[in-house]
Amino acid sequence: MEALFFNIDNGFLEGIVRGYKSGILTQNQYANLTQCETLEDFRTQLSATDYGGFLANESLPLSTSTIQEKATQILVDQFNYLRGNAVEPLNKFLEYITYSYMIDNIILLITGTLHERDTHELLERCHPLGVFESMPALCVATTVEELYQSVLVETPLAPYFRDCLSANDLDDLNIEIIRNTVYKAYLEDFHSFCGTLGQPTQDVMQRTLAFEADRRTINITVNSFNTELSKEQRAKLFPTIGRLWPEGNNQLAKADDIDQVRAACETVSEYRTFFNDAGVSSSSAHGNGGIDDLAAASMLEDRFFRMEVFLNKQAFLQQFQYGVFFSYVKLKEQEIRNLTWIAECIAQDAKDRIQDFIPIF
Amino acid sequence: MSDDYPSLLRSERMSLVQLFVPTEVAHDTVHELGELGDVQFKDLNPSVNPFQRSFVGEIRRIDDMARRTRFFDAQIEKEKDVVPVRPLYECAPLLTVGPRSAQTVDELDTTLSQYESKLTTLNESYQTLSERTRELTEARHVLRETAVFFDKAHTQTTNIRSSFDDSATPLLTSHDDREGGYSSGSFDLEFVAGTIERSRVPTFERVLWRVLRGNLYMNHTDIAEPFIDPSTNAETRKNVFIIFAHGDVVLAKIRKVAESMGATIFPIDANADKRADALREVENRLEDLQTVLYNTGIGRRSELVKIGESLRVWQDVVKKEKLIYETLNLFNYDVRRKTLIAEAWVPTRDLTKIQLALRHATEESGTSVPPILHELQTSKTPPTFHRTNKFTEGFQAIMDSYGISAYQEINPGLFAITTFPFLFAVMFGDIGHGFIILIAAVYMILREKAMAKQDNGEIIGQFFYGRYIILMMGLFSIYTGFLYNDLFSKTLHLFHSGWTFPDNSTRGVYTGHTYPFGLDPAWHGATNALVFTNSYKMKMSIVLGVIHMTFALCLQVPNHFRFKRKSDIYTNFIPQMLFLQSIFGYLVLCILYKWSVDWTKSPVSPPSLLNMLITMFLEPGKVDPEKQLYPGQGFVQTVLLGIAGVCVPWLLISKPYLAWREMHKTTGAGYVTLGNGEETAIARHSTDETLEGEEEGNGRAIAEGDEEHEGHDFGDVVIHQIIHTIEFCLGCISHTASYLRLWALSLAHAQLSEVLWSMTLDGRTDPKSIGGWIGLGIMGFMWLNLTIGILCLMEGLSAFLHALRLHWVEGNSKHFEGGGYPFAPLSFAGEGSKEA
Repeated sequence: MEALFFNIDNGFLEGIVRGYKSGILTQNQYANLTQCETLEDFRTQLSATDYGGFLANESLPLSTSTIQEKATQILVDQFNYLRGNAVEPLNKFLEYITYSYMIDNIILLITGTLHERDTHELLERCHPLGVFESMPALCVATTVEELYQSVLVETPLAPYFRDCLSANDLDDLNIEIIRNTVYKAYLEDFHSFCGTLGQPTQDVMQRTLAFEADRRTINITVNSFNTELSKEQRAKLFPTIGRLWPEGNNQLAKADDIDQVRAACETVSEYRTFFNDAGVSSSSAHGNGGIDDLAAASMLEDRFFRMEVFLNKQAFLQQFQYGVFFSYVKLKEQEIRNLTWIAECIAQDAKDRIQDFIPIF
Repeated sequence: MSDDYPSLLRSERMSLVQLFVPTEVAHDTVHELGELGDVQFKDLNPSVNPFQRSFVGEIRRIDDMARRTRFFDAQIEKEKDVVPVRPLYECAPLLTVGPRSAQTVDELDTTLSQYESKLTTLNESYQTLSERTRELTEARHVLRETAVFFDKAHTQTTNIRSSFDDSATPLLTSHDDREGGYSSGSFDLEFVAGTIERSRVPTFERVLWRVLRGNLYMNHTDIAEPFIDPSTNAETRKNVFIIFAHGDVVLAKIRKVAESMGATIFPIDANADKRADALREVENRLEDLQTVLYNTGIGRRSELVKIGESLRVWQDVVKKEKLIYETLNLFNYDVRRKTLIAEAWVPTRDLTKIQLALRHATEESGTSVPPILHELQTSKTPPTFHRTNKFTEGFQAIMDSYGISAYQEINPGLFAITTFPFLFAVMFGDIGHGFIILIAAVYMILREKAMAKQDNGEIIGQFFYGRYIILMMGLFSIYTGFLYNDLFSKTLHLFHSGWTFPDNSTRGVYTGHTYPFGLDPAWHGATNALVFTNSYKMKMSIVLGVIHMTFALCLQVPNHFRFKRKSDIYTNFIPQMLFLQSIFGYLVLCILYKWSVDWTKSPVSPPSLLNMLITMFLEPGKVDPEKQLYPGQGFVQTVLLGIAGVCVPWLLISKPYLAWREMHKTTGAGYVTLGNGEETAIARHSTDETLEGEEEGNGRAIAEGDEEHEGHDFGDVVIHQIIHTIEFCLGCISHTASYLRLWALSLAHAQLSEVLWSMTLDGRTDPKSIGGWIGLGIMGFMWLNLTIGILCLMEGLSAFLHALRLHWVEGNSKHFEGGGYPFAPLSFAGEGSKEA
């Protein structure tokens, strides 16, 4: 039935977003981009794609940050167009997408203030999708309590922050804890919100969000090895959704090294492969475990991104659901990361690593 | 069929030529050819990335120059007072050909970058200056507003104090002391003052309230005038705020919040005299700054004016250069990289002209090595090029928007020049309305030169483009208007009517002589006028329709000859023609015959032709003697029906049979289908002949020869023919019926104009009093407006649309193949006019 009425409210926007999606760079275009010698070549090459003349009015020499900025601006414009035309509940859904950017911005500002960076510089570095009105005032706060009372209470993120008011002094560890607590609350809330949206959306979105939750869980675990974070605290940060929850989460909470993490992930067949090579390398070179863990973690990160892209691509296989909007934003974000990576490699003349991006289509 | 004279009947004969251009003259050659606008270059390196081609460096440089001109354009646009930009045709041209061409472009590049850097520095200083002006203006506002506020506070505090005089609590006494201090001039309640964007005021207030837990007093007022950012022209409106609070920590917090919210804070002294001093100082500085700002603005403006004088030339040069290098990128280098090799489609007729242009380019560039041009033989389909002039352009565009005709196919655009306005006029026939659109067309044609230059906008531009179509439509409408004897729903009495009405009776008496041209005016207003015109127009539409379709069908024949498909004449054309004529051709003959008989003197009543056609199918051979049109009708109809019946299987089977026989002949002779079959072999053979002369370069032409031919299966032929047969037979019937739209629209048009006349002007044309004159004026005005708006524009558009459909569907389906691709020559002229 939902397929019958979906197009009344959302057909237009779904069409738009699917059109946007077909503008995502293909393997072939990436191959051309990686052959560029200079950033000007890069621009010429991009002008043949959907990006068009987005860099045409930039004076030379180009910098990678300009490229990233302009590309992000395109995404933001597209997103704002979608949001401007959306009706409930799609509107709400799109808002949920921005929440994650808002959380990132808040954490960025708090961290920046903590390290006494310039406020305006910080504000410029915020992701434009996560900007909200009273955001600049975040720089004033020195405690979580104050942060909550003065600014966050009127944002939609207020309920997420309520859980972490106990952490009083802001230091790097606490901020990290806050970020993860808030993100956990956000994921759970988004998850349950998607549950109210009915079948196809629920199906697609909860699959994507479950992966997101698992990724965070694993990341938290891997990153908390050899830190002050106690195991109980760690367990509290794990989102209570995802395919690893609950028994995988329990195992992860107790894990001490990457092998135990792998053991915990054995239960999910898709995750099993993530650790294959990583495990081999860590066992083969036991001498310098610290550096190796780092390498394993970065490889893991890479695989997570690949998995994310895969899941988001799958979201487009189903019609009459909101998952495409979420997936499009995520895919586009990945594309911008890829472009920045390639541009950076060109700028720094690091041709050997230029292939390390994650192709989408 | 030699094409000595350019005609529209078929598209221009094209040749594929190969050009060997020495590198030194390449630029000038392409420039010359671009000016000529007669050569379509082929991409010889389709597999090469755009940025790996030979002239990327040049293109990139030109892109940068283009960016600079765009920057100038944007700057000129943004300037508040209009900067005159000299149009292109008034500027001295900048020569980019000849031996000094490279130097000219270099010079232009440096000029552009010089101007850019000059303009940027000017902009920057202008920006900083205006930034400081803005700050000072804000400071002035803050000073003024706070002064107002302090004054108000001053009077208020005295009130408060007097009311508090009786009470003697210690807290208040100490307060009194403070107030006393204030009234003597030193105000030590601390405050922060500044400006903030108006949209942020509520958030600002809210955040402050939360941060300070309400321990503040805030006041703010609007600044009336908006601040305009010179670089973006964006308007921002700001508010002055003043916040009173106590304690250093709190004040620091306020400052921090204010700064992070994008507010500007100004140090304001609590002392009134000092404030006045500060205000005076600010005003002085503001005045100075404004003078400087004004001078900078003037300087910037004069720079822009200087740029404006030659901006259009620069843009033109940049555009041309870019086109030239993009074209050069399509070329191939020869082995020693001394010459460029190009392939291009050119109209065969213009070969000498192009040779001349090439020689001219060589002379211009001052070198002795001329580019070499020679024709290639190819089996590739050339592009379709109809050489149009301003008159035929519109008609050709009508047909091209349906489909580009195949190379050398009969071009329906030629015939549309008469058939299109005629079919339009059949629906639109009215002398008056025709005259109105004729006047409009004549006006546009007379002002052609002036209107072509200016920007007409989309709607007027469309009409202007079709001005010659409108002209023809107007002329034909006047003609059909005379035929219908219709002038704004009135009639003309040009000749003596064939009917008289003796003794005011409603029954006309025939006087014996027929009205010589068009409809007898006596029909106008007759009670059976509608019955008569309906029958007349309906039959006329069928007659015209069948003639049009027959004609369109005949256009197949030259195509069959040209494309060497002679068998199609008796497998397609003849059965189709017989089918159409035996049913609808017969109907037309009957109509004409029925018109020619004087039925008043006939013993039988006139038979209904529609019923005749139906019974011809339902009861072949049987004709009711009561309804007989002519003796022997039954036999004739049976024969005709038989012919039509035979035509269907004929059409269905003959072509597939021929294909089948052909196939068997080839396999029977021991040939096996190899690759693309025989057609390629022919192509190969023909290229071989020319190969002997030139050994270089032609290898490619052979290789390209086999691209296009797909093997035509026998199954394809069968299915195609089945579809074709069904389409044609059903189409004949539905298309004939479709021509009835001529009748329907013509009727609607006549009725509408009659209704309009009777609703507005009827009975008012002879006013007796002043009121009558006023009424005539108002109604006449209304009538004129509605005539132009509804009858000429709307009805005209609808008739246009229907005429279009009759050509596209009913006409073109009989012969048109389409499937060509248009000739798109490299041309500077087209690019230029698009921008201007």
